[in-house]
Amino acid sequence: MTLPEDVPLTAQPDILPAMARDAAALPPIPWHRLRRIALPLAVLFVALGLWQWITASGRVSPLILASPLAIAEAFGRSGAEILAHMGVTLGQAMAGFAIGNALGLLVAIIFVHSAPIRRAVYPVAIGAEAVPVVAVLPVLILWLGNGMAPKIVITAFLTFFPMLVNALRGLRSADAEVKELMHTLSADARQTLWLVRLPASVPFLFNALKLSACACIVSSIVAEWLAAERGLGHLIVVYGARYQTAEVWATALAATAASLAVYGLVTLAERLAMPWKTR
Amino acid sequence: MDGSLPDPDGMTAETAAGGLVARDVGMVYRRGREVTEALTGCSLEVPRGSWASLIGPSGCGKSTLLRIFADLVHPTSGRATLHGTTPADARANRVFALVSQQSTMLPWRRILENVELGLQVARVSPRERRRTAEEMIELVGLKGFERAYPAELSGGMRQRAAIARALTLRPRFLLMDEPFGALDEITREKLNFELLRILQETGATLLLVTHSISEAIILSDEVAVMSARPGRITKRVPIGFGRDRDRSLRDDPRFAAYEAELRHALHG
Repeated sequence: MTLPEDVPLTAQPDILPAMARDAAALPPIPWHRLRRIALPLAVLFVALGLWQWITASGRVSPLILASPLAIAEAFGRSGAEILAHMGVTLGQAMAGFAIGNALGLLVAIIFVHSAPIRRAVYPVAIGAEAVPVVAVLPVLILWLGNGMAPKIVITAFLTFFPMLVNALRGLRSADAEVKELMHTLSADARQTLWLVRLPASVPFLFNALKLSACACIVSSIVAEWLAAERGLGHLIVVYGARYQTAEVWATALAATAASLAVYGLVTLAERLAMPWKTR
Repeated sequence: MDGSLPDPDGMTAETAAGGLVARDVGMVYRRGREVTEALTGCSLEVPRGSWASLIGPSGCGKSTLLRIFADLVHPTSGRATLHGTTPADARANRVFALVSQQSTMLPWRRILENVELGLQVARVSPRERRRTAEEMIELVGLKGFERAYPAELSGGMRQRAAIARALTLRPRFLLMDEPFGALDEITREKLNFELLRILQETGATLLLVTHSISEAIILSDEVAVMSARPGRITKRVPIGFGRDRDRSLRDDPRFAAYEAELRHALHG
């Protein structure tokens, strides 16, 4: 039994398009990328200029709207204080973020493996999402004191639901053909979870993480408004009471930066986690 | 021991020992009051090491019959056996491998990792599964593309990878459901002959579902023609080309004769 000579073992012609595509991918000059950064920056500077002009002209009281320069000065004065409190807020937000998302994923995994539990608990969970947690915050503070615990609980609560809903969808997102493949390979539930369900859900998990990346800072700050001795929310209340408007703005900007940093980290992790999408 | 042997009703010792056997398989789907008879009285024997194709009009149930062997659906009557065991036991023992029209690659795994999947599920050691996967990748002509992601390959290459994955567990039976149906004619014919070479090298028994008459002739020792719903096997055409087949097959005058015979059988 000899092999027919015209049946090659390697380098099939249907391989060529993929190789040609790779060779053609030389980096062109990224004008579109430059434009993507330069245009928003220009808008930002124009807005800052207008802001400075309005506040400097005396049309608006500096108590109501601090000028960009005043805010910069506030950073110089109180930067160290703001940074210290930002650490507290970030710590709470990250702890709640981690706990809420981990629990959301865990509950989704349980739901996927037990239809009875899912049917019994999922509607209750969705109902619980409608609870305006901020409204029960005073009770939480009664229970847990005015330290970090109630803030972490609130943040975890708020990040839990986006993760639960997205993870559940992601874990069930594998195609029927993939399920059939795993069935014919006699894969058990744990193998299907690790080899198919979890990897298939990664884009969905990152959707949830991105949703809660900003929300976790917001919820932590809101919780600090009510009762706290530390944190950006507490700081804003203090500065507000002292009519230090520039400091309030500086603190808000610091919170924005913290949110963006968390969001950026999640986006970066998303790229690293899905090399098959970014190649 | 007796329990694992099929009923002796009309089965020869030879088929009981080896091949794919369907006995009077019927399949009825019920949805509410609507009753659809997909298969009726289907009997089929594919001796061990031989190659058979199922052809028929679309919707005739040829895929259903294949999926019964693959333990994806259960017949409502009759029985199917692989090597004398039920499809469920055959699946548990990883006696067969299924290749479907969609290559069904996991997009987040590189080609090598996709090919390794079956071995990984079978808990083969990482070193051993890498070695086997690389061997099969070479066999299907994908060497050099181990580290590519499925989305970076053409449909034909992904289908080669799916065949490599199917071969890693060294199945006695290859169940193929229109494996080349989504490919262009040129790629399809090339893969037909490559599959022939692979079948000869591995000695696997083949059951192929296809809608291409020429593909069925190239890849079969026997072609079973099925009628429209309810599907039943109306004609079995032995293809006498033996083993060492190559591209000159198509020039053989018998090829055209088989083609004509099958076309007539298909169109009543």
